[in-house]
Amino acid sequence: MDLAKLLPILFEGLEVTLQIFALTLILSIPLGVIVALLKMSKIKIVSWVTGVYILIMRGTPLMLQILFIYFAPYFLFRAQTPDRFNAVIIAFAINYAAYFAEIFRGGIQSMPIGQYEAADALGYTKAQTFLRIILPQVVKRVLPSVANEVITLIKDTSLAQVIAVTELFALANKQATGTSSVIPLFVAGVFYFVLNWILTKLFDYIEKKLDYYK
Amino acid sequence: MKLKKLIAGMLLVMMVAAVFTGCKKEESTGEDNSLQKVKDAGKLVLGLDDSFPPMGFRNEDNKIVGFDIDVATEVCKRMGVELELQPIDWNAKEMELNSGNIDCIWNGMSIDASRQEKMNLSEPYLRNEMIFVVAADSGIETFADLADKAVAVQNGSTAQTILENSDVYDTLKEATSFDDNVTAFLTLEAGGCQAVFLDSVVAEYYITENDKDFVILEENLQEEEYAIGFRKADQKLRDEVQKILSEMKKDGTLGEISAKWFGSDITIVE
Repeated sequence: MDLAKLLPILFEGLEVTLQIFALTLILSIPLGVIVALLKMSKIKIVSWVTGVYILIMRGTPLMLQILFIYFAPYFLFRAQTPDRFNAVIIAFAINYAAYFAEIFRGGIQSMPIGQYEAADALGYTKAQTFLRIILPQVVKRVLPSVANEVITLIKDTSLAQVIAVTELFALANKQATGTSSVIPLFVAGVFYFVLNWILTKLFDYIEKKLDYYK
Repeated sequence: MKLKKLIAGMLLVMMVAAVFTGCKKEESTGEDNSLQKVKDAGKLVLGLDDSFPPMGFRNEDNKIVGFDIDVATEVCKRMGVELELQPIDWNAKEMELNSGNIDCIWNGMSIDASRQEKMNLSEPYLRNEMIFVVAADSGIETFADLADKAVAVQNGSTAQTILENSDVYDTLKEATSFDDNVTAFLTLEAGGCQAVFLDSVVAEYYITENDKDFVILEENLQEEEYAIGFRKADQKLRDEVQKILSEMKKDGTLGEISAKWFGSDITIVE
């Protein structure tokens, strides 16, 4: 097995993996905030519909959701099949948004009511209270849970291969089959490990930075 | 509220079921313009699981190569169109075909009853046997020697079905299924099983290419044939490809490609 040949090939796969990773985060975190707020809505129907959405997203395998997003347009409506990569991004974004939403909701609801009352007494509007007082504290509280999800996401990107998006793991697998060697799989494992190592360090750093009261 | 939730849930399950059983109304356009469509597009989109040596797989340069790829390239050249290779997930091959993402499945696909029903298959182009591979020094020579041994097989393959329906199956200690044949071979080498059951075409290529100390048992369970799969309605496209394959057999091109991959002409195109 020629590493000099293998590495550039696996870097191609890594690029796809990182694209899925980055786009999913960019889309699912803001979406997660919106979903969390909808879930806490006082309008019953809004909160119920959001609940059903979260139930479906967390209650079915992500692999199935990817297949569904990709094949449903044609098989249900005879519409044009979406681009493979776009289908993967949509599926990941709406799936991870559901998980993030519950993490954010937990964070927001953990804030004691006294803070809202104090802000009200000081003349803060509702929006000001949320953005200036609640949100900064929520960010600190949810960070470890978010880190968990982000690290899982790196590894979940390998699910994209069910609709034949050749990301890092799929590519390593094909190389392993084509060349009858396990080395590509091992190297891919090292890639994932290094990525998550960097992420872990990054989250440690952010946590320390945000720990400004100690 | 409970009822509503239940209904919503059932609707979802039905939608999912509709997609995955491919239950759908047949299109009733009547006209078969499949060949014209490919010619207009200027390309034939070939769907394959690009991890199936020697039929279609990625080489060290990450290029998709193989016997089927060489044959398809020549067929497309004679049709005057480009060949486009679209890797697919093997489990989703019927969905990829029916939704029009690919024009054909051409990847050492064995003929069986359910595929015959779901696809428009070409005439068989290669004969293949389902065989057991064992380590050369294992002392296993016949089916009887396989009693109480562990056998590895590829998950979802016709090999798995054939093995499970065979008489040998009942005498085995266990049959483990793996995602691909290479993992099965690695297990054999590591001593995790005593035999691998698979296509002779794949086995012969693997053993010679990697210079392994494996042997193929004389006895085989069943003969199989490989064919190309098209959409049910695409009769004209299928016939054109079939016609070109016959021409290639006659003028020796097919034999040459076969010799390149298998050492001799083992194709059965007429």
